[in-house]
Amino acid sequence: MIGPLVSNGIISGSVNSLFAVLIGLLFGYALQRSGFTDSRKIAETFYMKDVHVPIVMFTAITTASIGLWGLSLLGLMDISKMYFLPSYLLPMIVAGFIFGIGMAVGGFCPGTSLAAMVTGKIDAIVFIIGVFLGSLLFGDQYMLWEKFYNSDSNGVWRLDQLLNINLGLAVLLITLLAVFGSFGMKKLQNKFWGKND
Amino acid sequence: MKKKLWNPIFGGIMIGIAMLLTFFISGRGLGASGAMTDFAVWLQNFVAPSVNQSSKYFSKYVANGANPLDDYLIYMAIGILIGSFLAGLVSKRLKFEVLKGPNISNKGRLWFALAGGIFVGYAARMARGCTSGQALVGGAELSVGAWAFMFSIFAGGFAVAYFVRRQWI
Repeated sequence: MIGPLVSNGIISGSVNSLFAVLIGLLFGYALQRSGFTDSRKIAETFYMKDVHVPIVMFTAITTASIGLWGLSLLGLMDISKMYFLPSYLLPMIVAGFIFGIGMAVGGFCPGTSLAAMVTGKIDAIVFIIGVFLGSLLFGDQYMLWEKFYNSDSNGVWRLDQLLNINLGLAVLLITLLAVFGSFGMKKLQNKFWGKND
Repeated sequence: MKKKLWNPIFGGIMIGIAMLLTFFISGRGLGASGAMTDFAVWLQNFVAPSVNQSSKYFSKYVANGANPLDDYLIYMAIGILIGSFLAGLVSKRLKFEVLKGPNISNKGRLWFALAGGIFVGYAARMARGCTSGQALVGGAELSVGAWAFMFSIFAGGFAVAYFVRRQWI
């Protein structure tokens, strides 16, 4: 059985949609149990008061990256049939900065606001209304952004290609970054705010 | 009594497995903001269908009578809503409340939440994804753009944190 299952015709499109619900279920469950439905926990990242959010993020990236490239190495995953996100470097840097401002102000990102809404967090409901308005506003102003939005297009562009290193080494580097970054951030948290957990 | 939160490493591994499953089963990544835009465009279709039809950005969502809700990410969002509700139920953390720091009123917090949401919704469309669909998924794919996006999110958050500290600490 070689992935991606849907591209290889092992499962149908409707079974794929069913899997989307099940995977979303795991994702939502994990977000809530990791404390991501609490806007304070997310915002406190930006004061180094609680660094669990970036630790979860780095761990998730590393786990999925080792899994994806490991499965590919073992021949269990045909990456030529997978959709990879393209890089539009400058638009993504600018958008990331605006996004970060929104997260520190609003206390959520889109996925965490959905997870928080169903646990009764009223600030999440209001945040979601904001996300709806913001995305419609971008669409209305698309003409202003169109040229910039499509600029600095680098296609599928990976860190190993950027650094001109072996793919496995790139996975090892992000793993080391995750491990040492997590310890480092926890140290800074304890230094600035004392050991409180 | 509320159940303790998961250890962040365990939580990260679980989210990583969810991502790996979308890669292996569906040949693509997970995401959240895409579904929210689908839903907003779907709502807009009731209020102002002509805006969707004539817009260069939105017309692809409704081309040839397509339903914006017929999308992989909508199914995933349904799962996120059910999963988080179940987790809240078993950990006894379901409660109607406004979470905020001690130095701001509920009303003040909600205005900040609305403003933050607008920024995030706007930026997620500009970046072609959010923290889930762009930063986490692209991060695992080793995408240069996604890693730049992620560090830029932290830069933006740290840059503005001082000015909104009243809300959180």
